[in-house]
Amino acid sequence: MDEFQEILQDFLVESFELVEKLDEDLVELESNPDDLELLNGIFRVAHTVKGASSFLNFDVLTHLTHHMEDVLNRARHGELSITPDVMDVILESIDLMKALLEKIRDTSSDDGIDVSACVARLDKITGGTGEVETPVSSAPTEEESVTAQESSESETEESSQEEEEEEIDYDSMTPEEVEAEIERLLAQRQEEDRKKREAKIAAGEAVPQMPNPDEEEQKEESSEEKKEEKKAAPAPTPAPVAKKEEPKEEPKAAAPARKAPAQVEQTIRVDVKRLDHLMNLIGELVLAKNRLIKINDDVEERYEGEEFLEELNQVVSIVSLVTTDLQIAVMKTRMLPIGKVFNKFPRMIRDLSRELNKKIELVISGEETELDKSIVEEIGDPLVHIIRNSCDHGVESPEERLAKGKPEVGVITLKAYNEGNQIVIQIDDDGKGLDPVMLKNKSLEKGIITEKEADNMSDKEAFTLIFKPGFSTAAQVTNVSGRGVGMDVVKTNIEKLNGIIDIDSEVGKGTSIKLKIPLTLAIIQALLVGVQEEHYAIPLASVLETVRISKDEIYTVEGKSVMRLRDDVLSLVHIGDIFEVERILDASEHAYVVVLGLGTSKLGLIVDTLVGQEEIVIKSLGDYLKGIEGIAGATIRGDGGVTLIVDVVALMNMAKDVKSSSMSDGDNAAVSNEKNSASDYVVMIVDDSKTDRTIMRKALEPMGVTLVEASDGQEALGILKSGDYNFDAMLIDIEMPRMDGYTLASEIKKYNRYKHLPLIAVTSRTSKSDRMRGVESGMVEYITKPYSADYLASVVQRNVNFKAEFL
Amino acid sequence: MSDKLKDIINKQGEQQNSVGEQLDDVVQLVGFMIGDEEYAVPILSIQEIIKPFSWTRVPQVPSYILGVFNLRGAVIPLIDLRAKFGLQVKKHSEDTRFIVMRHGDDVAGFVIDRLTMAIRIKKENIGPAPDTVIGDDTIIDGVGKQEDKIITILKVNKLLERDF
Repeated sequence: MDEFQEILQDFLVESFELVEKLDEDLVELESNPDDLELLNGIFRVAHTVKGASSFLNFDVLTHLTHHMEDVLNRARHGELSITPDVMDVILESIDLMKALLEKIRDTSSDDGIDVSACVARLDKITGGTGEVETPVSSAPTEEESVTAQESSESETEESSQEEEEEEIDYDSMTPEEVEAEIERLLAQRQEEDRKKREAKIAAGEAVPQMPNPDEEEQKEESSEEKKEEKKAAPAPTPAPVAKKEEPKEEPKAAAPARKAPAQVEQTIRVDVKRLDHLMNLIGELVLAKNRLIKINDDVEERYEGEEFLEELNQVVSIVSLVTTDLQIAVMKTRMLPIGKVFNKFPRMIRDLSRELNKKIELVISGEETELDKSIVEEIGDPLVHIIRNSCDHGVESPEERLAKGKPEVGVITLKAYNEGNQIVIQIDDDGKGLDPVMLKNKSLEKGIITEKEADNMSDKEAFTLIFKPGFSTAAQVTNVSGRGVGMDVVKTNIEKLNGIIDIDSEVGKGTSIKLKIPLTLAIIQALLVGVQEEHYAIPLASVLETVRISKDEIYTVEGKSVMRLRDDVLSLVHIGDIFEVERILDASEHAYVVVLGLGTSKLGLIVDTLVGQEEIVIKSLGDYLKGIEGIAGATIRGDGGVTLIVDVVALMNMAKDVKSSSMSDGDNAAVSNEKNSASDYVVMIVDDSKTDRTIMRKALEPMGVTLVEASDGQEALGILKSGDYNFDAMLIDIEMPRMDGYTLASEIKKYNRYKHLPLIAVTSRTSKSDRMRGVESGMVEYITKPYSADYLASVVQRNVNFKAEFL
Repeated sequence: MSDKLKDIINKQGEQQNSVGEQLDDVVQLVGFMIGDEEYAVPILSIQEIIKPFSWTRVPQVPSYILGVFNLRGAVIPLIDLRAKFGLQVKKHSEDTRFIVMRHGDDVAGFVIDRLTMAIRIKKENIGPAPDTVIGDDTIIDGVGKQEDKIITILKVNKLLERDF
């Protein structure tokens, strides 16, 4: 059973691959009906599927493919010309074949799909061309599932085909078993004929100097054989003889059919799960690499000029180089050519143009461009919708085109190419183009936009209206489009991939839609931004540009912040408003605006700082925290901390509901506690020298104030931020490791609540420039060492407003 | 001689059996304090206990979810049990620990005030949760009685269930 499953799996994989290729070939065949190579290829597909399915006892599938094979075989020998009508039937049969394969994949059986009508039509084709042969033989070949009703159906069809009444008589007279036996016999005979012919072809190839007579011979022979068939049909007796003959011939015949000139690629099939696992591991490696780089930077800073640094540098750069290469290599194993998706479009265009009575040509280029597997899977649907749309609404009818002086045949170009870290898929048509005025009117009619919005809309914005749900320009709902759903799907799917849609159009000239999609999903380039003390990562693919602005460039319109960016008005939202960031730091005069572009819309995101660009690995937040609006996931940074990744799609939606809060308003809730005793005053002493701290402590202890010590700037900042004490003043040394006094002072002054905290420099630096720097960084007093204990005490008393009664 | 030996072997066998029996009806728990109450969870549901370190705030979640932190490459939510149990949030101290609990695929870190000890408690000494909190929604699994105190045993799967 397991073995069978395995074979079945292989069969399905192979068949789906073949069928995919088939569609493309068939459409090409229609334009080049004489291309023998193509025909042979298509024939082989039908043949292979038939062979395998008969082995696996899929009788319905075998039955269908057998008849396809028949038709194709005739075409191959020039007995049948491929007209669009013939092609319709062949395509229909291939659709059925796909349906059957899917059925087999899902249920492991090919029951329940009715192929009889199609088989009958296939038969009609074979019957219609040859003058002598009678098609009745093959119609009810199926042994199992074809019911009597179905077979009679096909028979009536055949009978309408002007021929043989006697056949029907014969059918109705003969018991079913006998009939089935005859049919099978006939099928075998036909198969034999075919094999013989193939063998002949092979022989013909081996003797290349005289191919023509050979072919003629074949034709003659085949018609002869078919005459024989007819004779054989009414008499079931020769059956066993024919049967015995068959196996001998088969090996010989099969060989030439398989000797296809197709080039064999060296490939291994790998379970996608393994690739995913590999990708995860690479993700871990990238994180470790980022961390290593960060450590390297730190070490570099601390041990500048040391010799071992160079060696470390080399190792770090090699590791990061190899990691990057490895990552690209693994990513490439997941890459599929986009041609896999493009393949189905020639067929689609062909069907659509027949359905719509338009003449449309599809030009495909760049099908070898590669994309991550997961993206290839997602991109199909949007493209189908866009191309349908171009066919239905874009390209005009031939009459209309001629009247406008355009060539009768409309051209849709589908191309893919790489652009930086993105892949661009461009769909152009030379149809009637989008009319912004008409789009606006339609949207107004349907209530998608308001009058006011319509007035403010640029042409480009108007084009994007076609992506709104419920929007449709079609006067009536057709089979193809007009329900106002399709383009909305396009937008959603592309945004899901972090992609951008760019649309351009000119009335009368055509429309061009560009889809820009990131190459892969798991590891992305991100822009890291800071707001207050938090960091967020924004996928770089959605970032159009960043701008530094000052506060007064921000205007408020109807409660929303906006700014002028070149010729456009850009709506703004503060990242802190979206993510409820507590404002503890003093807002600076300047801010950065990250211009986000997604699909067709734009938004300016105000952030406090730009940290930089980094390669990040997307990690899920897990089940417990999933579905948080505005957060797409998390990543682990070089320092081991977690940074959240912004979900740009959600953010854009959230931005609509966020009221702009003025950026500067931090509540200055200065906690001025009532002092009841001297020990309520708290002073921090920051000095790296234990001796100096003790001297200061000795000077201040007599006052009775509470003293807290810190040995460097970092520690001091940590104590301050922990909020354990409410400090009234700080004594700060300038020369300190890790963080010096100036830096500490300016860091402290960033916080709203410490704006008024007196910072007193206590240092041996006496130069004027040092004093200036002290003032700049926010120090209020500057005491130079050595100093008297009394002086220090009095300075502190003055700055903390020490109450006289505690003295 | 051989009888004695047999006796000894038998005794040993009995002892082993009784140890096995003991293991069967003894539950091993890890106890910890939140506020003034002692709670416990089964030791097997604890992945590890770590000292507090920095975490990243996550927006738009209830206040008892402090955020997420990095546990050797995995991003794990951090939940403050004080806040979850409606107590006032306290600053982390020397005794504060993160207990990382796992149930199936769900993992989360929980902030507790102080670890007490590993507890072996006989099943018969575990009573059901008080009537007032019985139901499918309660996070209380039962109440463990010890000589001088009672310990509330929590359901790990309920703790790890998203409830917002």
